[in-house]
Amino acid sequence: MRARIIDRQDLLKIVDLLTTEYQVVAPFRGRGRDTYFDVVTGANRDLIQLHLPNPYYPPKRYVFPQSQRLMTLRRNGDLQIEPYYDAPKRAIFGIRSCDVAGIYQLDQVFLKGLYKDVYYDMFRKNLFLVNVVCTDSELDMDEDCFCVCADTGPAARNWFDLQIMDLGSELLVVAGSPRGEALFSNDFFRQATPAHVEKRREILTDIRRRFDKSTSWYSAAIRHITLGQVTDETWEEIGNRCLECGGCSYVCPSCNCFTVSDKQVSENEAERLRLWDSCALSGFTRMAGGHNPRKAVHDRRNRRFFRKLAHYYIQRELSVACIGCGRCVNVCHGNVGMPAVVEIIRRTKAEAEQR
Amino acid sequence: MHSFNPTLTTCTFCGVGCGIYLEKSGGLITGAYPSMSHPANQGKICVRGWHVHEVASSPDRLKNPLLRVNGDFQEVSWQKATDFIVERLTKIFRESGPDSVGFLNSPRCSNEESYLLQKFARTVIGTNNVHHGGPLHRQNTIQTLIEMIGVPAATNSIGELEKSEAIIVDGIDLGRQLPTIGGRVIRAKLNGAKLIVTGSRRHRVAEQADYFLQIKPDTDLLLYGAMAKVIVDRGLVDYRFVRQHCHGFEAWLQTIQDFNLLAAADRCGIEVELIENAAIAYARARSAAILYSTGVEARGVEPIQALVNLALLTGNVGREGGGLMPLAEYNNLQGICDMGVMPDRLPGYRPVSDPKARKALEKLWGKPVPPNPGRDIWSMLGSGDTPLRAVWIDRHNPVATAALCDAAQVLEQADLVVLQHMFMTNTAKYADVILPLVAFGEEDVTYTSTERRVQIAQKAIDPPPGPIPAWHHLVIVANKMGARWSYASSSDVLDEIAKAVPFYSGISYENLGREYGRQWPCTTDKKLGTGYLFEDGLPEAGFQFAAVHRPPDAASRPTDDYPFYLSLGYSLYYWHRNVLIQHSETLRREYGILLLDYPEGFIEINGQDAKRLNIRDGAKVRLVGQVGSAVSTARVTDEIRPGTVFVPYFQQEIARQIVWTEGARKSNVDNPVFVRVEKA
Repeated sequence: MRARIIDRQDLLKIVDLLTTEYQVVAPFRGRGRDTYFDVVTGANRDLIQLHLPNPYYPPKRYVFPQSQRLMTLRRNGDLQIEPYYDAPKRAIFGIRSCDVAGIYQLDQVFLKGLYKDVYYDMFRKNLFLVNVVCTDSELDMDEDCFCVCADTGPAARNWFDLQIMDLGSELLVVAGSPRGEALFSNDFFRQATPAHVEKRREILTDIRRRFDKSTSWYSAAIRHITLGQVTDETWEEIGNRCLECGGCSYVCPSCNCFTVSDKQVSENEAERLRLWDSCALSGFTRMAGGHNPRKAVHDRRNRRFFRKLAHYYIQRELSVACIGCGRCVNVCHGNVGMPAVVEIIRRTKAEAEQR
Repeated sequence: MHSFNPTLTTCTFCGVGCGIYLEKSGGLITGAYPSMSHPANQGKICVRGWHVHEVASSPDRLKNPLLRVNGDFQEVSWQKATDFIVERLTKIFRESGPDSVGFLNSPRCSNEESYLLQKFARTVIGTNNVHHGGPLHRQNTIQTLIEMIGVPAATNSIGELEKSEAIIVDGIDLGRQLPTIGGRVIRAKLNGAKLIVTGSRRHRVAEQADYFLQIKPDTDLLLYGAMAKVIVDRGLVDYRFVRQHCHGFEAWLQTIQDFNLLAAADRCGIEVELIENAAIAYARARSAAILYSTGVEARGVEPIQALVNLALLTGNVGREGGGLMPLAEYNNLQGICDMGVMPDRLPGYRPVSDPKARKALEKLWGKPVPPNPGRDIWSMLGSGDTPLRAVWIDRHNPVATAALCDAAQVLEQADLVVLQHMFMTNTAKYADVILPLVAFGEEDVTYTSTERRVQIAQKAIDPPPGPIPAWHHLVIVANKMGARWSYASSSDVLDEIAKAVPFYSGISYENLGREYGRQWPCTTDKKLGTGYLFEDGLPEAGFQFAAVHRPPDAASRPTDDYPFYLSLGYSLYYWHRNVLIQHSETLRREYGILLLDYPEGFIEINGQDAKRLNIRDGAKVRLVGQVGSAVSTARVTDEIRPGTVFVPYFQQEIARQIVWTEGARKSNVDNPVFVRVEKA
């Protein structure tokens, strides 16, 4: 492990190093439980904290914005199409391990398929990820997160550039990429010892025990869904609690459906935008001509959980598309986020087996 | 806390007033997402809230004032547009008197612009012809609640639903209208509360009901009378509460003494046991809430009275987790009424006819207040009465509103139509002057949610050059007419509102900005606002039972010739016309699907009935009523109660032919209509 140790008071030196090359965003406290990523400036730099609730608006917005201009279309006699590329070099200082897995999931969709999405690629190449390990059960975790079930945390194993972990008196910094490792040439990084690694192991073991309030024990649900054993009645029970807001897709760090919209800006100019979309919405699968293969709400709900939990996808991506952040639990009006749905599937299956 | 991104603000779609954050980039609003800590929504919003940022950047928004010159609109300066208005208005009211002018606003108008609109009407022009374009039936709630409990607003907070042991949802499709409240209700039920849903339509929240009373249309009055009878007969009345705090109980008791439960259940079309169990569940709960619509699915006076009676019977007023929630589906329906945008009520609901009320405002405004109630919107935009010569409209779109079938004619013949709006609407085509206003996120203004929460909708970005805030339009014109209003900002307007509306006296931008707005009464000695009404003590004056008339038995029943109840309504089908919905790609798609699937409109019929009549989904059908008929397309859905036909309100043709005949203005809430359905 390419690990180093720094003193607590040297934490912001990492931010300072990054700001020479990147626009750095970090999480800040808002009102109540609300936290959000904001650009680090001289004015707010000293407010950066390691331990605070995970921002609700998912970091996928830095590689896949909620509303993104793709191109401008101009008519001056003939039609001119001008792509709009605006991908600043950006560092996320303080992305959680679960959310790192979300970025990984998006990489599979936008980069590893038949076509590479040029916009995503640009954002992604320019993105530097500083993962912060959740170690404070009061501040970092809330009762809805379940990264241990999703196997994405509390410490990401991969897919970050740097990882910072609070060992108490000191901070352990691990490099996950050559870009990250390059920072170790600075003198405030010193060698980590086996004792530090042991301390890390202790803290992680302890933290894993604290996820007792909300769990999503997938394995059985994965099996039932993959084998097509979940009945229509069960999906209807779930669908009847859904108010079709789209929130689960919007807040999910790994959801990536989008729609494209052309907006007339002036008489001879239009913009093409990419906008977040959601398979929860009834119009999502409606086709020209009127046919809608997923018209009923329960047909849309089953699609979501199939995408998240069916073995086919897990095998393809070598990870579960649900990264265990718990945002869907918070956003859902009818309490049919991932843990609740997994519970419903397991319960209804067990009840059916009893009969 | 320094931050320039994102902005915490209030969603301006419906009356919940969810806390949301707006993301900005490059001077544009690029995203929206919920606040986790806001007491009303706690991290949840509906599909509309997720897209509320898309309006500001719409390319077809109006930038400069438009003046109709020789039939066409021309962009003109603010100076020219407002001078034209002043000249024309002054001429009109000098020639024909102040009551030849009418003022209309929309339940989407902010508190500031609404307050100034009625102040302009009353002090600059001298008329009480001021009304909101919100639903007529909001008036019923205001009148009834003032008479029975003294305050025309929700008694409890949205967050308290998690403490309710029983919840009655009367009619309203919460999942589509106020999803955040729908979610609260669903989660309360999942936590053990008893959910009672009444109404003829099987909507999403009804699927969760412990007791779904799917009654025939317009039998709710009978149902609530029956429930009250059960509560009395089973000894579940909270007599201590009734004796100590209520008047009129004996008189009311007389009216239900000989109520026949079996007959009522039969008329309602449900099992009598269901009525009994629902009533018992409601009355046994330690705290029970009643939710009903005052807008889109509005109630007549008597059903509201019946609902309040139930709450009084069980002591659920002034109790945490209990109460009555008259729901506002439009973001500021509560606020505009608080501001007095009504022909017969002043800011704070005091009657225009009350000399003490007028005097208090005359003192504040330094101008006389006209003493006679003005014309309501039906009168102002109806073809029956003396036509107005000038009409000033703030955001409302009467021409597109089915219920106001004559609006276009009235506006056509008026000598001056001033419209304040963001886009060209159907009504804009009849305007002489259009004044563009700024979008959500471009100004600081306040709105009052359905739980009495006065909140700021924050400015997140600068407006584009051209448009100015709506409240400011009124200041410019008023001052050109000699008013001498000096409001440097919307905060100044709010400070005056605090002086004009007694239960807003503690409200200021500073106070509202501390947490998540304040729920009124928020007075100088109660600056933190009020969670639930009467939390500090029940009022001396007590509450009043209403002796509700039992609906006549024979008059309104279906016959063999006309066996189907015709139900007119809004729900999902209303919002597709909404100007804000039309400007979001996703919302336009979601709300427009039915119009794509049924391009010529539709009526809805239950699957069983369709099968029996051999009508397939998408087939043409004719609805034949006693006085007229209309042809439409059938949409077959099991949300509809068998034996009913549902017609969306935007089907103006059907409404005209079958319901609003002979210039009658009332909806079928008061006079049910029966039809037969034939293949066309």
